[in-house]
Amino acid sequence: MLPFSLYFVTGVVTCFHVYSLLSFVVYGVPLNPLELVALMGSFCLLIAAYVSLFRPRAAGRLALLACLAMWCFYAPAIAQFVRARIRKPLAAQLIVPPTGATTHTVSRPESARF
Amino acid sequence: MMLACLAIALLVFVTVYSAIVSFRQKPGESAAPSWIFPDGTRRPARIFVGIASLMLLIGLGTWLSINARNSSPRSFRFLIPEGYSGWVRVEFEVPGASILPAEAGQTVVKVPYSGLLRTSSQEQYGWAKDDYLFYSSDRVRTLPDFGSGRLIWGKINAEESGSSGKRKYEEFFVGTEQQFKDQAEQAKPKATPKDSRSPATTP
Repeated sequence: MLPFSLYFVTGVVTCFHVYSLLSFVVYGVPLNPLELVALMGSFCLLIAAYVSLFRPRAAGRLALLACLAMWCFYAPAIAQFVRARIRKPLAAQLIVPPTGATTHTVSRPESARF
Repeated sequence: MMLACLAIALLVFVTVYSAIVSFRQKPGESAAPSWIFPDGTRRPARIFVGIASLMLLIGLGTWLSINARNSSPRSFRFLIPEGYSGWVRVEFEVPGASILPAEAGQTVVKVPYSGLLRTSSQEQYGWAKDDYLFYSSDRVRTLPDFGSGRLIWGKINAEESGSSGKRKYEEFFVGTEQQFKDQAEQAKPKATPKDSRSPATTP
């Protein structure tokens, strides 16, 4: 039952995650074809979950292929996220968020000249 | 973000697990089947999984059908005064304003001549195909909202914060492509020599 539970839970979680990302298309976000590949991988993982009840080794191979399909989307996404974190824009580096405040108002200092 | 982290963590785990299952030695040769790498599942467990899956599917189907029946209409039917040209703005969740009526599965939005409508109804989200119609005292005619002769432009849904709190609104422009471009040009702030000066060059 362990392979079934593992494949099934991962398939459901990744499927929901990728589907929620795909739903942003409604608001005009361009469609990423890798998201569709990842969604297909999630479905394959669900199929692998049921196959694992009868043929665990074959299910393992199918699950591995499904995972590789999903990494096609997740690996570039993680790389981009890490790159964005490392290369902070200059303006973001200068701002020090005040503790306890929820909204920030940028005002012009009186000494500044424009 | 939490869901993404969970998905990635599970994906890493399953990738490693499935790789081990795929490439390890056959159970008959040397490795004995264990609970981590079982050599199949017993019949009662299969039956249990089958019944549980079937119940899950039936439950999901029932929930979706009930949800679809009880949900409010999502698409709007915008009734715009005949000959109107300019921006139309519909503000939602305005306290004290009237609610929008529903007709034939659509929410009817009758825009006044001012182009501004305030309603206490909620903004609708999700997939929908809105209709746009010109109305006058004697007839109603459909406005094209796609293609070369379209008359609907620049539709946006947004939320703004002000002194009266948060306000959700929907805006779109009614008119020809040329009219839409002209008003966009007029709306652009004109750069003055004073604005173009950089702080570094000022004394």
